[in-house]
Amino acid sequence: MDYLVIAVVAGLAAVERKGFLQAMLARPVALAPITGLALGDLTGGLLLGPPLELLWLGAVNMGASLPPNEALGTVAIASGAVLAGQVLGTGVTPAIAALAIALVGVLATVGRSTDRAIEEWNVRLASRAETLLERGSLAAAVRTNLYGLLLPFAVSALLAPAAAALAAWVIPWVLRGFPAADVPLGYGWVALTGVAAAAGARACRSQRGIGLFAGAAALTLAVGWLAGGIP
Amino acid sequence: MNVPPVTLRRVFWRCLFLQAAWNRRGMQNLGFAYAIAPALRRLYADPGQRSEALRRHLATFNCHPYTAAAIVGGAIHHEERVAAGEEPPGAPLEYKQVLQGPLAAVGDGFFWAGLRPFFGALAAVGTLLLGWPALVAALLLYNGLHLWLRWTLFRAGYRSGDDVVLQLARLSLPAWAARLRDGGAALAGVGAGILALVATGRLGFAAGAVAIAAAAAGVVALWLRARLLPTAYAALALGTAAGILAVRLRGGHP
Repeated sequence: MDYLVIAVVAGLAAVERKGFLQAMLARPVALAPITGLALGDLTGGLLLGPPLELLWLGAVNMGASLPPNEALGTVAIASGAVLAGQVLGTGVTPAIAALAIALVGVLATVGRSTDRAIEEWNVRLASRAETLLERGSLAAAVRTNLYGLLLPFAVSALLAPAAAALAAWVIPWVLRGFPAADVPLGYGWVALTGVAAAAGARACRSQRGIGLFAGAAALTLAVGWLAGGIP
Repeated sequence: MNVPPVTLRRVFWRCLFLQAAWNRRGMQNLGFAYAIAPALRRLYADPGQRSEALRRHLATFNCHPYTAAAIVGGAIHHEERVAAGEEPPGAPLEYKQVLQGPLAAVGDGFFWAGLRPFFGALAAVGTLLLGWPALVAALLLYNGLHLWLRWTLFRAGYRSGDDVVLQLARLSLPAWAARLRDGGAALAGVGAGILALVATGRLGFAAGAVAIAAAAAGVVALWLRARLLPTAYAALALGTAAGILAVRLRGGHP
């Protein structure tokens, strides 16, 4: 049942990401908590969402260029981490998050290749619409546009559960076999979040980006330490 | 004959599917034809004329999916004149060809490189500080603003046709985009600070130091155009190595 839920969430995210609406619901900051909520672990999704958003803040579809498929990567990472956390009975920990990204984060890059293949495939839909128009089937020709939503849904609905299954099997095996890896992997997660924040600043393409990023980080650390830190 | 408001609203709804069948040959051509079809049905009672109008909107088209709403509105503006015999049939196509490039540039610069990264960073920082209510608030704010702008552009295109460019210029979107890019970079810095504080609270001072060092190294690497995913994996590996070292230095007790 969990894998069916993952398939539906991944499929709908693939549709919302490009084909319909584009209301940021397929962005990592929203999609990781949605995935967590759908699988019964909102807290785990909320742990993953902000760093993944910053990491892929620059993943936007400018012109005909194709960015990594951050929505597919996010569903795979979040669902894999949540399922692994449920198997271990710990919920999503930083160590689980680190392993989930290490294992299935690359799916975002795979997703870019499938996106390209889908765009090639859609040329057939354009040809079909022209043929239908020649035959005088105007309504059918226009409706062809909606068939373009099916393939992105299907591809993501297949790939995300497969990646989640891999993560849900490998992560508990690693952490049960090497319990001492928990803390070092937590450090790995922390380092990843630092790079994610830097990637977020880079993605904003601000001419004063480095100065604003460093200044805001220093100010936040100073305020945080004065206030006694964030629990 | 004018297209009735209920049909215009239907066209606007269909604009949200503009990229449903994005393809390498005609790009958003199917989406454009799908969006404008209800207006063409109103304007051309004769199936032959309607088919001809639909064919011109199956020509290659590519624009930013938000700002394209202005072109869909403007194309209806011109189709009304074509249907009334006031303009030649090629006028809507010419209008689309002239405007799609500039409006794509405005849309990419403002929405994709300004507004969305800013709200993404805002939602991330809000979630780190306040949890899901801040996330929901950021999404509502973004979508309220983006849907209002899409509708405003659609209506401006429909009402003013070619003059939509002047109306768009009045919004000063490039100036706003520059401010949003600065704001986004600063919010990412706030995010880095919060994540370092969270790491300190969870794993100790050494973890906070690792977060800050990783952010600094990330800035250097990414501004030198290192690829994102390999950089992220390198951070993961080096951070884990630092964690092993930290555990050993503390005699196995974190």
